[in-house]
Amino acid sequence: MRETLTVARFAGRLYWRDRVVLTVGLALPLGLGIGLPVMMHRLGATADTRTHLGVLAMVFTIIAFQQAAITLTARRDQLVAKRMRATGLGDGSILAGEIANIALQAVVQVMIISVALWVMGVLPPPAQPVLFAAWVVVGAIVLAALGAAFTVVVPRAELAPVLAMPFFMLAGLGSGGFGPLIELLPGWVAQVLGWWPGIAVADALGETYTGGTDYLPAILRVGAGVILAALVIHRAFRWEPRR
Amino acid sequence: MTAITVRDLSRSYGGFEAVRRVSFEVARGEIFALLGRNGAGKTTTLELLAGFQRPDAGQVRVLGLDPVKDRRAVRRSTGIMLQEAGFFPDLTVNQTAESWRAFVPSARPAFEALELAGLLQKAAVKVRQLSGGEKRRLDLALALLGRPKVLFLDEPTTGMDPEGRRATWEVVRSLADEGTAILLTTHYLDEAQQLARSVAIMDKGEIVTTGGMAEILAAGTGRVIFEALPGIDPSSLPLPVRVEGGRWVCSADDPDLAAQTLLGWAAAQGVRLRGLEVRTASLEELFLEVGTDA
Repeated sequence: MRETLTVARFAGRLYWRDRVVLTVGLALPLGLGIGLPVMMHRLGATADTRTHLGVLAMVFTIIAFQQAAITLTARRDQLVAKRMRATGLGDGSILAGEIANIALQAVVQVMIISVALWVMGVLPPPAQPVLFAAWVVVGAIVLAALGAAFTVVVPRAELAPVLAMPFFMLAGLGSGGFGPLIELLPGWVAQVLGWWPGIAVADALGETYTGGTDYLPAILRVGAGVILAALVIHRAFRWEPRR
Repeated sequence: MTAITVRDLSRSYGGFEAVRRVSFEVARGEIFALLGRNGAGKTTTLELLAGFQRPDAGQVRVLGLDPVKDRRAVRRSTGIMLQEAGFFPDLTVNQTAESWRAFVPSARPAFEALELAGLLQKAAVKVRQLSGGEKRRLDLALALLGRPKVLFLDEPTTGMDPEGRRATWEVVRSLADEGTAILLTTHYLDEAQQLARSVAIMDKGEIVTTGGMAEILAAGTGRVIFEALPGIDPSSLPLPVRVEGGRWVCSADDPDLAAQTLLGWAAAQGVRLRGLEVRTASLEELFLEVGTDA
């Protein structure tokens, strides 16, 4: 655990030093998560909880999934991951530390977005704030872990943002972040997209807003994401570029 | 006392055998040079020893431990200077060393490692602004942070200026004097000859020559070298010679006897062998011979 925290702290310092990462990983999600609902509110449109949750599914996908894919492919391609393995750190600690850092950034941003919208009077607070926070943490960790697993199909670091982008679009489509477009499509599309953990977590967050108790579908879908990420990382994660 | 033991080590990639039945030992306080052309299998061997890869066959022990199964324990006692590994370009040299200290148990102070590597005066410089040789020095500083009992150095002085190379040699010697076992791969054969007590030459994944540096050099073919004789056909000499630039070189198992033969012939012909040099083969000459034979 100490090693994981050491790596997470180090990765966090690097995160906050990198202006490019901050632009993509901070300004864009905050702009999207706060700016869009506020704009809709001021224009007189309904900035409802569903839109907010849809945006959160997209924000999770950008900050946690995409950022993990970008960061870990860059570490791999620049041979920094290999150098870190040359120390006394265990592989699990390195990976867990990197995932923990990215998940933390995602948690902070989602909380900032949600609290800001509440403070500005755009949305009500969740009926179950503790469960809301717990699901935000779970979502951030699972999506960051899936981002780490996704690196196995990313051939080069510069392709990571491009290859991760369809997941962002699908998260927006399936969660209602782009509006109720999903209702125009056959029902099975929504069912398939619902397996994306970003959407599953958004559904669970929706329950925390309404005070509902139907968490089982989200637990199953998020659990499937955890198993998938763990299996792929265990079997195929690459610490170095292909020779 | 043995620090590194390698027995019948093999590793293939697809159908390509990168390392074939390699065996050697390195004692504590010994500097062992692993030499060979590009693609000979040196770096793969070193990465197998460091536990980055799993061998297909054979046994590796570092300080009595399996570097794959006991990787964390092995890493805590080893320093690795990789041939290729990245840095965080926006960190300064000192920030890099300080960050790395957190990853290494019982790490020495950052300034001490930087001083050893001759990089203390660049402590405030960002890594992206370092030259290639300075980055190698930073690599060395990071490898030394954990006070290693075993040090793997893969091409440690590539890109360094002559002063930097010699300073690095001094550090490596002093570490060996303190008992650190050092496995060195290098393309600079003078470096290997200066530093190593033992040597193995690899070719196509196999060790083709191994032993103590002195005995290998002594066992190699000697040289009698002298300036070309104007108006004389080299084939008329009593021993075969080859022309290298403006000099004639006679290779012989016993260079003293060859020199006597050539001097006797020269006296009979009434010519003088100018610039006569009689010596054992250098490591470079031996390396080229072994590579040609293999």
